[in-house]
Amino acid sequence: MSDEVFFSAHQRATVEAAMARIIPSDDLPGAREAGAVDFVDRYLSGIAFIYAKPDGSGFETLTGRQADAWRQRIAILRQTYASGIGALDALAQKLFQANFIALNERQQDDTLTVFDRSGSQSASAGGAPGEGPALQQTLTETELEFLPLLVMHTRQGFYADPIYGGNKDRAGWRAIGFPGPASLMEVYTGRYSALQWFARGEAERYLEANRDA
Amino acid sequence: MTLKKKPARADICIIGAGASGATAARALSEAGMSVAGLERGPWRTRETFGGDELANINRYNLWPDPLLNPRTTRASKNDKARVELFCPVPQMVGGGTVHWQGWLPRFTPEDFRLRTIAGEVKGATLADWPVSYDELEPYYSRIEWAFGVSGEAGANKFEGPRSQNYPCPPLPISRYAEKFRKGCAALGWNSFPTPQAALSRSFNGRKPTVISAFAQQHGDPTGTRSSALNVFIPDAVKTGRFDLRPGCYVRELTLDGAGKIKSAIYEDGDGDLIEQEAGAFILACGAVETARLMLLSKSGRFPNGLANGSDLVGRNVTFHEYSAAVGLFDDPIYAWAGGGYVSASSFQFYNHDPNRGHVSGGHIACAGVGIPLPINWRLPDAPAWGAAAKKNDRDNFNHSMAVAMVLHDMPQHDNRVDLDDEVKDAWGLPVARVTLTPHENDLKQGRFLIDRAGEILDAAGSRRVQKVYAERITGNCSHQHGTARMGDDPATSVLNRWCRAHEVDNLYAVDGSPFPTGTGANPTLTIMANAWRVAEKIVERRGSGR
Repeated sequence: MSDEVFFSAHQRATVEAAMARIIPSDDLPGAREAGAVDFVDRYLSGIAFIYAKPDGSGFETLTGRQADAWRQRIAILRQTYASGIGALDALAQKLFQANFIALNERQQDDTLTVFDRSGSQSASAGGAPGEGPALQQTLTETELEFLPLLVMHTRQGFYADPIYGGNKDRAGWRAIGFPGPASLMEVYTGRYSALQWFARGEAERYLEANRDA
Repeated sequence: MTLKKKPARADICIIGAGASGATAARALSEAGMSVAGLERGPWRTRETFGGDELANINRYNLWPDPLLNPRTTRASKNDKARVELFCPVPQMVGGGTVHWQGWLPRFTPEDFRLRTIAGEVKGATLADWPVSYDELEPYYSRIEWAFGVSGEAGANKFEGPRSQNYPCPPLPISRYAEKFRKGCAALGWNSFPTPQAALSRSFNGRKPTVISAFAQQHGDPTGTRSSALNVFIPDAVKTGRFDLRPGCYVRELTLDGAGKIKSAIYEDGDGDLIEQEAGAFILACGAVETARLMLLSKSGRFPNGLANGSDLVGRNVTFHEYSAAVGLFDDPIYAWAGGGYVSASSFQFYNHDPNRGHVSGGHIACAGVGIPLPINWRLPDAPAWGAAAKKNDRDNFNHSMAVAMVLHDMPQHDNRVDLDDEVKDAWGLPVARVTLTPHENDLKQGRFLIDRAGEILDAAGSRRVQKVYAERITGNCSHQHGTARMGDDPATSVLNRWCRAHEVDNLYAVDGSPFPTGTGANPTLTIMANAWRVAEKIVERRGSGR
């Protein structure tokens, strides 16, 4: 549970390769360039990186029942990854007689597609829609199978605040045009405002009306 | 676990310090009563909140952790219940108001007499409320003014008469609200700025609300949004008579020889058991947990749970349901700005209309798609992974919005909360089990509202509209009501019109549990107004020596 990592070299390479097919690079960076694998490797390393401090100055130390729950959760997720990576390689061997990382991109896509169909959950089970409008997370992360879990963590590693180790250079936010805050501190202090993305003239009107506030 | 020294007896013990508990605490402590507040969760301050989508939405920083606080759910009593975080609400001082975006519409006068208006609905237990809109109106105003609600009086033409304007003008207009207003106008439908628990100007010494993107489901590090945590809790504490104890999990209520409640037994943060005595006890745990605590409090007098001689505790539960039509626009609309829920609504299809072929209706409003931030935004039929998924994110993130509904689900006798016979929480107590099958009317009304939502998007110029109908009730609103309904007849209700148990003279419930019907609107304003009304009655009753 040390060093911010959990995966073996082979596991890490496999996860990184799969993430690169889940959010591929195009004319803009994808999951590989954004460091999504660093995000998940650190997440699985223990319970030292679960919650960033809200001002971005570090990470919270968990205690008591909350720490117990997170230890339990991380242990379950590690197991899902370890067996899922093994199953992905086994499928790659069956289809193309090589481990997943040795395949070309098309073969990797084919392998993931077959893997996806063989699961009992949809690949989007960890991220909502597809099946309905999710207003909130009622899913339990520990109940996800490998592929939906990996898809969810890839999205998180691409789009979560960079403090968690992914979304490097805000690659995810840039890709979709989300002008997120420069840092958690910007939100914490109230300097971050989304008013300029409101209807035309509203920001000026609001600021003028509250000039003395 | 040992029994620690007993705290002093209080006039009133309130269990739960969310919207309703905080309101009651303020009203009672200001009237001179000593109040012990027992809250199972932490007392967090704004310094612990931040703009962190991963922590707040995905990692249970504010939501209950399902490994500690599971619930179970099933469709009927013949099914096996499965573990699911059904209808969660943050468990902490401030409760759901800590992370809400604070839509605070009033119920309409019709809501209080729907049984009379719509008649009997087969399979449902529709009931009029024992209180009227007019009785609640002064309390609506009081809450709106305490919270500095931003809104426009008279703009919702289906609203009942009001004694006062809103204290703050509407919030600024988002681009997605602009689309909503345009769509409604084109159709000739009334729309109005959603009344919101946020300050559009300086108010009561508080600064105007920071318009962030991290609002819905985020705590507010700036303290400029309005919540029970930053309005009623400090007001109550200021009186010197409100002893709020976080981390105190009430396990049961005990009776005295006369059949009144003697004490609440709770486990504190050290794992020690403490007994709190009081003259009266107010349940404010949210409708699910309030019913659970009543059912956990078994005694010789009440073998099936406290005040449950009628077997009605936990029954008639309603949860609303949130679903939406999702539209894509050519121009960017940034439906994450402001948090995704600022702010345009319509009650055009809210009140009952016998010509529609179903009973009642619901609140329709503009919103971002789901939680409209990068991790959790996703279109209903979007591919989960691959080049097409990335292209979808790139093309549509800033061009999508929802027109969403709050479904008015019908109360039914067999839809209920009870205790699971296998699953326990991290404190060793049986968890709440939700048994729920939607009424045919719920599905019909839902289709109708989603179709209207789609028409608004069409009329606003959306280039593509997808309609997502609600096919079951999933608890995704975090609204919960009806588990201890109030009424004048003890055979059909748990509480009387003052939210006092018919069977126990010093037991009250003031969260959503007294609601005879869920209505089609966000409930917290009415929950708080009702809690204040009840608190005043408690003060009055004590003054008269009863």
